[in-house]
Amino acid sequence: MPSMPVGLSRDLPPKRVMRASVGGQDIVVWRASNGDIAAWDNRCPHRGMALSHGFVRGNALACLYHGWHYEQSGRCSYIPAHPDLDPPATIHTTRFGVTERDGVIWVDTTDTAKPGMLTEPLDPLRSLIAEVSEAAVEAACHSTPFEGEMPQPSGSGLYALGTIRLALLTNPLGPNRTQVTVLTSPGLSLQTRLALSRWCETLRRNAEATGTGGA
Amino acid sequence: MSLHYASNDWYPVADAACLARGPRKTRLLGTDLEVLGPFDHPVVTDMGGRCFPVQVRYNHLWTTIGDDPRPLFDIPEADEPGRRHVPCGVVRVKCSPLRAVENFLDIAHFPFVHTGILGAEPHTEVAAYKAEIREDVDEVWATNISFYQPQAAKSAAGGITTRYEYRVPAPTAAVLYKTCPPRPEAMDVIAIFVQPRSETDCDVWPWMALYDDTTNFADLAQFQQEIFLQDRSILENQRPVKLPLDPKLEIPTRADMTSIAYRRWLKRRGAYYGALTDQT
Repeated sequence: MPSMPVGLSRDLPPKRVMRASVGGQDIVVWRASNGDIAAWDNRCPHRGMALSHGFVRGNALACLYHGWHYEQSGRCSYIPAHPDLDPPATIHTTRFGVTERDGVIWVDTTDTAKPGMLTEPLDPLRSLIAEVSEAAVEAACHSTPFEGEMPQPSGSGLYALGTIRLALLTNPLGPNRTQVTVLTSPGLSLQTRLALSRWCETLRRNAEATGTGGA
Repeated sequence: MSLHYASNDWYPVADAACLARGPRKTRLLGTDLEVLGPFDHPVVTDMGGRCFPVQVRYNHLWTTIGDDPRPLFDIPEADEPGRRHVPCGVVRVKCSPLRAVENFLDIAHFPFVHTGILGAEPHTEVAAYKAEIREDVDEVWATNISFYQPQAAKSAAGGITTRYEYRVPAPTAAVLYKTCPPRPEAMDVIAIFVQPRSETDCDVWPWMALYDDTTNFADLAQFQQEIFLQDRSILENQRPVKLPLDPKLEIPTRADMTSIAYRRWLKRRGAYYGALTDQT
């Protein structure tokens, strides 16, 4: 399984926890108070609770069920039911590769995360989920006009929308479910970014309309 | 044959309040059932019209779909004078019936899941207690448990250290004895009776037998419902959905002694319905 984009760095500020998925693997991604990021199997080794429901205390992620703390390395550092116990090193989460580049969080469930290289500098716009296949999202991108003009493919997964450059990074979540991370040319005005964000919504609606009809 | 074992236990399928609203279409161990009132003369059938035995105990209507049912467990306190019996309705939970029971046996989650009611930080420590399989009665018991609780019951005026005892008389039922705030020498009885709709889906019927003559019925039931809705947010997010009986799959600590005994007891009896085993 290659590295996959699972969301935007700015949507995960310090002390936040989010749920992600790569190749069917349920994942928790969280950021410590010190800004460090980690991605693990979304499961507390104690009683199987989803860690994505947990909360960050300092630089540890605490499970919602019994408050067990796990530090960045995945090792359990504190068990509230036994405050004086130093938890054995054998209690730890299952860790995955995670890295950030160009404002995008990349996760790899089998190796160190290697972000997809962009051929030019781009800024993150938004992340969204469409209830269709990856192919249907790409097809809809070719047929959803932005301000009257059709996006033109310009190689390496990039599109030209007039003078704006745009990249769609896709993470297939299932046969009919795709996470889409959208990046654009840097330095756009807020107004343009809002218009592009609305275009993303239209793209999703078009993809879902045709994807469902054609299935 | 996990279904075969499970089919010979009795399960709750209705209470008086739900039957008063009309027939109840429900499911037990994967079999669709219809329960018809009145509560004192009920009829339980499957979709083919086959009738199943019924009995009314602990304010619930119980049935079994097995050919050779074991007797329904006894809760002797139910017959003690002065106790108020409170059926608390039903909570549907998408989880293994066994995970629902195990969660009921757990105190370490109180400060995090029932914050400000059954527990609160920094009072998180679980002191050593005794958990055992009692061979004479073939039940799981946990005794000598105490825990600080900000609002132990509707009748509690403030935080108290509550004493707890747990009893597991059947794989899908658990009885809790806990300090009764207005009568510290007595113990309130709180039970959950779990109706396994399937191995991964259940209806939980909480029931109480309390020394509390002042709180109105709706408030008592509401208190218990709130607790169970908080538990549901946990129970529907555990993976695997079925309860693992292999101790290597989920790491316990000393606070989980009751859970360890419960899992061992299930394994010993072959009560695998809702459990993750080598066979499943």
